[in-house]
Amino acid sequence: MVDVPSLDLKQVKSDLIIAQRECYERRLVHAAKWSAEMSRALVVKVDSRSLQQVDEPDEFWTDYDSYVLAKSYFDVKEFDRAVHVLRECNSPKPYFLRLYSLYMSDQKRKADNMPDSNAQSEVFDNEILKILQSELSEKHSKKELDGFGLYLYGVVLAKLDLHYMAIEIFVESVTKEPLNWAAWMELARHIADKESLLSLQLPQHWIRSLFMAKVYMELQLHEDALSIYRTFMDRGFGESSYIVAQVAVTYHDMRDVDLAVQTFKSLEVMDPYRIENMDIYSNLLYVKEKKSELAHLAHKCCTVNKYCVETCCVIGNYYSLRSQHEKSILYFQRALKLNSNYISAWTLMGHEYMEMKNTSAAIQAYRRSIEVDKRDYRAWYGLGQTYEILKMPSYSLYYYRKAQTLKPNDSRMVIALGECYQKVERLQEAKKCFWKAHCLGDAEEIALFKLANLYATLGEKEQARQAYTEYINQADRMLIHNHEDLSRAYLYLANYYIDHKNWDEAYTAAQKCTEFTETREEAKGLLRTIQTRRLHDVPITPGGMSIDDSMDSIAPTDQFNAGAPRAFDRVTPVNLKFTP
Amino acid sequence: MATQEGTPKENESKNVSQPLCLSTLRSRVRAYIDKHQYDSAIFWADKLATLSDAVEDIFWYAQTMYYTGQYHRAIHLITSQKLDKNYAACRYLAAKCHYECKEWQEALNILDLLDMSFTRSTSAMNTSLSESVPDSELTLSIPNCENSICLLRGKIYEAMDNRGLASDYYREALRLDVYCFEAFELLVNHHMLTAKEEHELISSLPFASQCPPEEADIVKELYQSRLKKYDCPGKTDLSPALIPLKNNLDVIVSTAEQHLYNCDFRAAYKITSKVLSKDPYNSHCLPIHIAILVELKNSNALFYLAHKLVDYYPDKSISWFAVGCYYMLTENFLPARWFLSKATNLERAHGPSWLAFGHTFGVNKDHDQAMAAYFTASQIMRGCHLPVLYIGLEYGLTNNPKLAERFFSQALSIAPQDPFVLHEMGVIAFGNTNYEEAESHFLKALDRVREVSREMLPERWESLLNNLGHVSRKLGKYEEALEYHKQAEILCPQTASTYSAIGYVHALMGNHSEAVNYFHKALGLRKDDTFSTTMLTNSMDALMSEITACDGADEDPHFQNLSKSQRKRVKLTDLFGNITKDETIDDSKASFDTTDHEPFAESSLSMEEVEMEECSTS
Repeated sequence: MVDVPSLDLKQVKSDLIIAQRECYERRLVHAAKWSAEMSRALVVKVDSRSLQQVDEPDEFWTDYDSYVLAKSYFDVKEFDRAVHVLRECNSPKPYFLRLYSLYMSDQKRKADNMPDSNAQSEVFDNEILKILQSELSEKHSKKELDGFGLYLYGVVLAKLDLHYMAIEIFVESVTKEPLNWAAWMELARHIADKESLLSLQLPQHWIRSLFMAKVYMELQLHEDALSIYRTFMDRGFGESSYIVAQVAVTYHDMRDVDLAVQTFKSLEVMDPYRIENMDIYSNLLYVKEKKSELAHLAHKCCTVNKYCVETCCVIGNYYSLRSQHEKSILYFQRALKLNSNYISAWTLMGHEYMEMKNTSAAIQAYRRSIEVDKRDYRAWYGLGQTYEILKMPSYSLYYYRKAQTLKPNDSRMVIALGECYQKVERLQEAKKCFWKAHCLGDAEEIALFKLANLYATLGEKEQARQAYTEYINQADRMLIHNHEDLSRAYLYLANYYIDHKNWDEAYTAAQKCTEFTETREEAKGLLRTIQTRRLHDVPITPGGMSIDDSMDSIAPTDQFNAGAPRAFDRVTPVNLKFTP
Repeated sequence: MATQEGTPKENESKNVSQPLCLSTLRSRVRAYIDKHQYDSAIFWADKLATLSDAVEDIFWYAQTMYYTGQYHRAIHLITSQKLDKNYAACRYLAAKCHYECKEWQEALNILDLLDMSFTRSTSAMNTSLSESVPDSELTLSIPNCENSICLLRGKIYEAMDNRGLASDYYREALRLDVYCFEAFELLVNHHMLTAKEEHELISSLPFASQCPPEEADIVKELYQSRLKKYDCPGKTDLSPALIPLKNNLDVIVSTAEQHLYNCDFRAAYKITSKVLSKDPYNSHCLPIHIAILVELKNSNALFYLAHKLVDYYPDKSISWFAVGCYYMLTENFLPARWFLSKATNLERAHGPSWLAFGHTFGVNKDHDQAMAAYFTASQIMRGCHLPVLYIGLEYGLTNNPKLAERFFSQALSIAPQDPFVLHEMGVIAFGNTNYEEAESHFLKALDRVREVSREMLPERWESLLNNLGHVSRKLGKYEEALEYHKQAEILCPQTASTYSAIGYVHALMGNHSEAVNYFHKALGLRKDDTFSTTMLTNSMDALMSEITACDGADEDPHFQNLSKSQRKRVKLTDLFGNITKDETIDDSKASFDTTDHEPFAESSLSMEEVEMEECSTS
């Protein structure tokens, strides 16, 4: 399903050069930067000079003076002046620049007026956006918008939360102007699942593959994303820091920490002053608890650009690792002040608030994060946790479920979901969840134990026995020794076998129980009961009723724990069992 | 006044029987009057009056006194010589002086003397003047005196709160002289006639007989462009007769006013600010501009404008109206009331001030006071349906749908095409659970609005679309309801009530995941929304009971190391069967219904929503 069309490198390179020029002329600076980066990474000879020569319509040259002036105003962030200068211009580029400046001035004003990153912006002042919307929609219905104009229209629609329309417009925009990477990126942000991705009618263009890779990444389809990136790297983009960074981020999302760190390190060598994506790197270092490396990264980022969202996130992570949560919140807030749509800062801030037990602030932070991007499973998961703390399990159920849908193969979500079901007394679903978690290869091995407990409370004894047995087996295999859980498991088994008059098994299990301090006393009592009842039973029961294969016995422990009581064992029939 | 000032030149040549110095004296007096040096004029006019005994000179002496504001002196001068008995012009002047002194009854008394002959037969009005005072023509030729007198009478009656008679006299004045714009303006601006009556008046005016043929059309169109626009949104295109005048500010302002009533505030704002940059104190444009500033919530510009107006025109009601609007916009209702009542004190017939005055109470849920203000306004603006509409709205808000409906139908009888009234009628019908009727009202309103707006409806109509959505939902047409709500969302994105309405429809359709999504959005915008909160909980429960426990958990638990004989399959699906599912859904449905009427019953255009947009006329 993942196929990359063969790349005509010459074509690609000249496309990138044109894209850079066109984007920069319209002051889409990030798209221009991206194109230039990609272009530089590609070592192919093309005639750059001829590509820089452009035919502009006559109309453009009449507007030229205003246009150039407006561009300069834009560069020094005097957006309103740019708008004013261009008020009479009608040729496409100046027209786009005018509306774009208007949009930017509105965004800047909103950012400046934002009271505090934590406070909810209650007042929605969408005046300018609505003006833009009505103007652009009129132009759009007259089919007078070019690819860039459509892009701006889409951005405005997205800002107004009209996502369905925005997607349509972005698709139209990339069809008309496939070289505008900004439009692709915006489109990628709005794709919620694979079905909607496949339903889009996208133009056949080499840039589309990069878009697909980006979307696959966001949709947690890591393998597909990686294969596209690898193809690009093999075909000449090996030196592209963008692609290497994307690969690193993908490893991070796959929770392949070591590979990700390794890739980030190579990225650091390639592009030492890169700040972009460094927050992801800091997440990795945080997970690995590499304090010194994180400190180094934080210092480096700080010297490169102190007031940059990524830097703030790195520093926030650093303080969080040092358990200085207030400070770390401060830095996340600063990041959000710089860019209020920076999801990971919102999510991380939510985590910090959770650490500080400030649930309401945490909820707000998580919610903002979801508002920005609905696909952020960490925020959904965080919301679930918060509501769990607030003892509102029906809410947290929903949030966990959301998180699980976004990240179906993460056992943590499934276990959390199962626990929630347990809390709202929907034990059947809880069972399903725990089983699913177990099947996913649950890292902490609690799913099985929880499942067993569940069976026990439901009185499904047979199932419970099997689950506990399985748990014990697995714990042994994985060398995990959680005393409390293990002791409970053995205790249950002992009781179970006593009830079923399987004295041998009961005896072994009870014997195991004595190894744990928590259950020692109880186990001693059990051992006594077994002894007396067995003596009681033996005469009545005909010997060798059915001899079970010892497959499901708690065998592994038997051989090793043949202590003193073993001698006692021999007198009694072995493996005697009653089948009711 | 203009007519009086225009006459002296003709008079000059007539009386030359006196010594020569008299005629130079006369021309000197006129010259000083023309130069607004009234004190010099009065001095020489006095001398002239002594030297000559011509009625004309005395008239001019009185005229100069009028100019200098010595009204009683002028009255005395005229009445002591009994000139008012014989000469229409003098009578008019005396009455005018009384009018200026706010002595309405005296003014009427003087005019009534003259009128004895007048009222005998209205049909013969044109000739009556010459019949009763045949000598007046000899000395004083002030043409169209009868029309001025009619106008003055109208003004006096209006000042005496006798609006019926006042409008009769204005109409008469206009009929006598179709160019008498003042009478027309008073009729229109004070909303004395309903839209229908206005049109009848225009069509009955004798343009053909009084105007040269090439002018008749343009005069008519000019008047037409000034007519009431508040009864129904209309086209903004210029009529072809006015094309030569398309750069005239008055004509441009009329277009702006039409935009305003079409709720296209930004277009209107563009026009009015252009007009005001050419003519900063254009009295026709200012009220519209103020209304637009209020609509666009541009308090800064309004503040500045109000300040300038109060500095320059402290005795005009529009200035204080602007101040009041500013305070209302910034939600300082006490000072707003104070300034608005000041505006109404300066000019009692200033309808918009009364309406705004009512709004300041209405917003604060002080319904009785608001209604009192609206009632006053309705008496003043007899031809305008807005006060009645607002009264109905207040009754609706105080849970009195019967009375509200009555007032709405009254408003509808004045303005049968107004979508606002139709909308309110729909809301009342909705409240009475008469959904079919509500739908038809809403659809009618929507048709009206659609007729004029080009691509996009103005934002104002978001509530209409939402209400259509509510009605469609009530009628069980969920798809349509969704469609309407979605349109409303496009008109006015990021609105909590729209989101929760969409969520509600989804919930009823059983789309719980969508429903949860929208309720979340709604709550994100408005946290203390109890309806959305309860609905969210309901939908969440419904959703969670509906979907699988977790993605990919279809298999049943099974332990590989169990021998087959012992495997006991636990069929989760059996336990989780249809019965329970149906029950939960029924449950949630039932709870929807109980909560149903509560949140949306008040989904009318609330006060804030309709408010103010229409107080644009002065």
